[in-house]
This record gives sequence, structure tokens and C-alpha cells, in this order.
Amino acid sequence: MSDVTLKRKAVDARRVDLSVRIGPLVLRNPILTASGTFGYGDEYAHVVDLAAIGGVVTKTVTVKPRPGNAPQRVAETAAGMLNSIGLENVGLERFRDEKLPRLRALEATVIASIGGETPEELETLLRALGREPGVGAFEVNFSCPNVAAGGARYWADPARLERTIAQLKPLTDKPLIAKLSPDVTDIRDTARACERGGADALTAVNTFVGMAIDLDRMRSKLGKATGGLSGPAIKPLALARCWEAAAAVRIPVLGSGGIASGRDALEFMAAGATAVQVGTATFVEPEAASRVLMEMRAWLAANGIARASDLVGRFRAEHAQETGMPGAARNGEEP
Amino acid sequence: MITRERAPGRAPKVALRRTWRQVRARVRIQREYGAGFRWLELDLPAGFAAPVAGQFVQLLLAAPSPVLLPRPMSVASVQRASGRLRVGFLYAPVGEGTRALSRLEPGNEVHVTGPLGRGYPLAEPGTPVLVAGGRGVAPLLMAAEALARARRRCEFVFGARTSELLVGLADARARLARAGGRLHLATDDGSRGFHGDVVRLLDGLAPRLATPLVLHACGPHAMLAAVARWATANGARAHLAMESVMACGTGVCRGCPLPRSSEARARVIEAGAEAAALKGNPEWAMCCTDGPVFEARELDWDRVE
Repeated sequence: MSDVTLKRKAVDARRVDLSVRIGPLVLRNPILTASGTFGYGDEYAHVVDLAAIGGVVTKTVTVKPRPGNAPQRVAETAAGMLNSIGLENVGLERFRDEKLPRLRALEATVIASIGGETPEELETLLRALGREPGVGAFEVNFSCPNVAAGGARYWADPARLERTIAQLKPLTDKPLIAKLSPDVTDIRDTARACERGGADALTAVNTFVGMAIDLDRMRSKLGKATGGLSGPAIKPLALARCWEAAAAVRIPVLGSGGIASGRDALEFMAAGATAVQVGTATFVEPEAASRVLMEMRAWLAANGIARASDLVGRFRAEHAQETGMPGAARNGEEP
Repeated sequence: MITRERAPGRAPKVALRRTWRQVRARVRIQREYGAGFRWLELDLPAGFAAPVAGQFVQLLLAAPSPVLLPRPMSVASVQRASGRLRVGFLYAPVGEGTRALSRLEPGNEVHVTGPLGRGYPLAEPGTPVLVAGGRGVAPLLMAAEALARARRRCEFVFGARTSELLVGLADARARLARAGGRLHLATDDGSRGFHGDVVRLLDGLAPRLATPLVLHACGPHAMLAAVARWATANGARAHLAMESVMACGTGVCRGCPLPRSSEARARVIEAGAEAAALKGNPEWAMCCTDGPVFEARELDWDRVE
């Protein structure tokens, strides 16, 4: 049984403590924007108060600018969308010189997403950005499904993940968050490898590899055969992967995959996520992250939960026996 | 420990450049427009910036919607009525999203994000020649009216495969008469007006007009490519309104690439971040924020799909 039971006596919504910890980084609340769905932050700054949400995970930056894949890059599917963007980004220099100062001025907590085809490229990025004052943490994109080199397949090897994170760790004093692919046989293997390598947290999960075929032309609906599936369609899948990953490690997990409401976010937290990321929902409703935060606060208040972090892993603790996974310790806290 | 706290109520001292918003709007008019097309008019609340010709909005059905993502829709008319905006759209219910849209009735709610993208640069000097293909007529009628307000007369070329597909011709005639635009019709099958496509019609029309010519066009991509090539070959400038599948519509997802011309690619590489509105990607322009209206020399028309 859980060590916290649901108190039904409502508390004042303004007094709910929403802050959560990702290693040494304290987020004012658990709602982040997912990488690739919020640009470099300033694109949405006039509709979302970046200083009011937990943080902004920026578009994955690579050493050199990348032009991205040929069209089509997006295709809608049932309750979701496929994308094959191909890590289009402005490159390290412009990210550091133009994008970061702007985010800093907007008072966002910035989690910079970095991506590389090799461990060496990731090292180059962290050498350049590792001590930047405007960055609160780094999310390493080990899970892009849409690039020929250095994508989810390449990084699905636990030994490579562990080795690489161990190499990267000394290059920054900021938390390192490893973003994992769901397309592995057992996400607990990659999750544990990241923890052993020294990752401060995990993000579970990136998009699922998916396909859609235009039968009239007998061609993919994307420029490439496959893309990454996101949106409400993947929420139950992502939730299960997030739960498995969170149960396998002691470091905090950031939940991601189809989150579009406060209840979605709370489910991920109950499953063991310390914080969550809102992604595709922003394409539908630019203010989605703000609304998810508001709904989360209201639910916690109505259910008498004065601290958001009290909810983390409650489901997991109750079901630890089912999988034989250790589940008593809540993420980000000592057992 | 790293903490990021901010005194409540203190706004960041940064100018926010963007003006688009997502608002709730109500359906005002929904009706047949002929040839399988429909006319939709929405009441938009105050605070929504007035779109200019060539700009678009993202339309999203209020839940329950059979589709997830909003649909980009080119703006076909804008009227002000007691502080509010009435915005019209000409569309064809061809997919699941647009078919659901066609079932909405007056009073129903939709979510509208906009105005988005860059419209036609109507202030550009020269003789304005507006070139419409099929339902592409809608934003160009809006452009003709904007030109009339600036006391400029336009030549209006309207083409389609057959006379039936000259969408809303009576409406176009009436609006152009008020705007002082001269209408030139073309059909591929010769059932109305000039027998041939709009480019052949331009061949005949252009020598009678004062140079330089500045073309503003909207229609199928094959027609726009032909107009772009004609403009390049004849020393005219041409602004073409492109379409693409989109997700966000706001430049964030990078989902709507169009191939840049080699000239544009070289310019982006040289100018880098300094190239206004080019966002620094030398290979691809984004339809949503770099466009949807592009000057002919910006795109590689051999690779436009």
C-alpha cells in the first residue's frame, strides 16, 4: 500500500506546493514543454508566460546547423501525428548567441536539448554550453527516430549510453537528463544504463516509430518511410514505459507522451514521473502547457494534496509487487 | 541548489514581436458557394489582429473533433463590424477535418489561431496583376479590394479548367466592379473567356500593361510554378501563395518545408541570421512563417510538389 492516502479535504489552490526537484535543479512546477514542440521558447512567449511554467526544453541543438528532412515532414493519424523533421536546428553557435540570451531575458528555466551522431559531438556541445549561465539542465536526445546517424537505434545500446553519459558528466555542473526511446525491448535496460553512467534524470519517452501509407500513390505519407508518432494516441503506451523506467531507477523521471490535460500529467506523476512534458498538445492549443498546469493545480487542491511531489510514484508503490520492481522509493527522494 | 524564482507580478523586460492569438470564434455563415465549395464566415472577438490578403489562420473544431490538428485556412474576406471582425473562408470539404467543418452551423464554436504568415506585399510598386486559379480567387479578391483602398487598379486574371470551376464568378465580378479591377477569364477547355491557361493569357495581356508588372497569385502549385517561371522569364516580380500540410502553423514544428532556390540558398548562407524572415535554413523555407506568400525567386519550382 501507498504511504500516502488521498485526503479528500480540499486545500487552497494557491497554497499547493508545485515545486519539484530534478537533481540539484528546483523547478517551480512540474510542467515543462517538450523538445521540438516549443521552438526556442520565444515563439510562444506572447501566449505562454515562460516564467510561470516549470521550464522550457528547447529544440534539440546539434554542433552544426541541420536543414532537416525533405517533405512531407508531418502527417496526421488517428488521435496523433507522425513527424519526420530530421532535427532541423540553428546549430550550436546561433543557439548560444541568439536563442539563449532571449530565453534568459524571458526568465524561463531552460533545459537545453542537445543531440549528436557520436559521443564526441555531444562532448563538443557540452564543452561549449556546459557552463552557460542561462541553462538550468541539459536533456540529451538519445532517441530521435528520424535521422540516419545518431538516432534512436544507435543510442539503444545500453553500454554505449552508459559510457557516453560517463564521458559527458564531468563537462557540466548542470543536471544531465537522458531522453529515452520507447522502441526498445526493455526500457529498464536503457534506463538503468543511464543511471549507472551518472545521468541525473531521464525523460520517458520520445516518439514511437510509426508509418502511414498513401495508398493512391503507394508511397509513405512522409518523405521517409517512417516517422515518430506523438499525441494522445501514444499516451497509454508512453505512460507504461514511463512507469517501467521510473520503477527501475532511483533518479527522477520526466514523463512525456500525449499529455494534453492536467489529469494526463497527474497520471504520469502517479506512475513515477517527477515532472512532465507537454508536446504535441501545444500544436493544437498554443497555451496547452499553461492550461495543463492550471488543471493540475486545481486537481491537487480539490484532492487535498498540498505538495505535488507527494503524488510522485504513488501508483508505482502500490503495484511494485506485480513486476517485482522496487517501488517504495519515490523519485528524487531518498528511500 | 539552483533555484529559478521570480517576484510575482514582475513581467520580463522583453519586447514580444508576435501578434497571433488563439481565440474562440462563432460561425456566422455557412453556405454552399458552388462547384463543391463552401463559404464559412466567423465572428472573431476584439483583440484578434485583422488578417491581410495572403495570410492564414489555423482552424480547430471545438471538441469533439474527428481530427487532432487544426487546419490551415487562407483568409478570403475581412470585415469590421462594431469593433469585431468577420472573417470569411472559401474551402472545399475534401478531407475529414474540412468535412467536419462543413457540418458546423451558425452559432457553433471554433478555435482560431492567427493571423499567421506573411501576406501579399501589395505596396510593392508596379502594375498589379492578380492571377487566380480556381478557389485561389478568394484571397486575391481581398487583395483587389485592398489595392482599391490604396487607389490602385488591378488586372485580375481568373482561370480554371472549366467554366464551372470559376468559383464564385458572380461574386468576383461584383467585388471587382466595386474595386475597379479589370477581370480577364481563362478556361483550359475554352468554355468561358480565353481558351488556354492563365500563363498564355498573360502572354497576350502583358504587352498592353505599363511595366514593371508585379504579380500576386494563388492557385494550384502547378499553376503557381508556371506563373513564377513566366515572371522570371519576363522580368516581372511574382508573389505566390503556397500551401502545405502543417502541424503548428507558427514556425515551431518545422513541419512545412518548401525547397529554396539556389539563389535564395546562397543568400541565406551569406547573410545567415541577418536575412530577415529567412530563419537561416539554407535548404528549406517554412511555408507557415517564411510564407505562405513567396517571391518567385525564393523557391526551386522544379522541386515544389
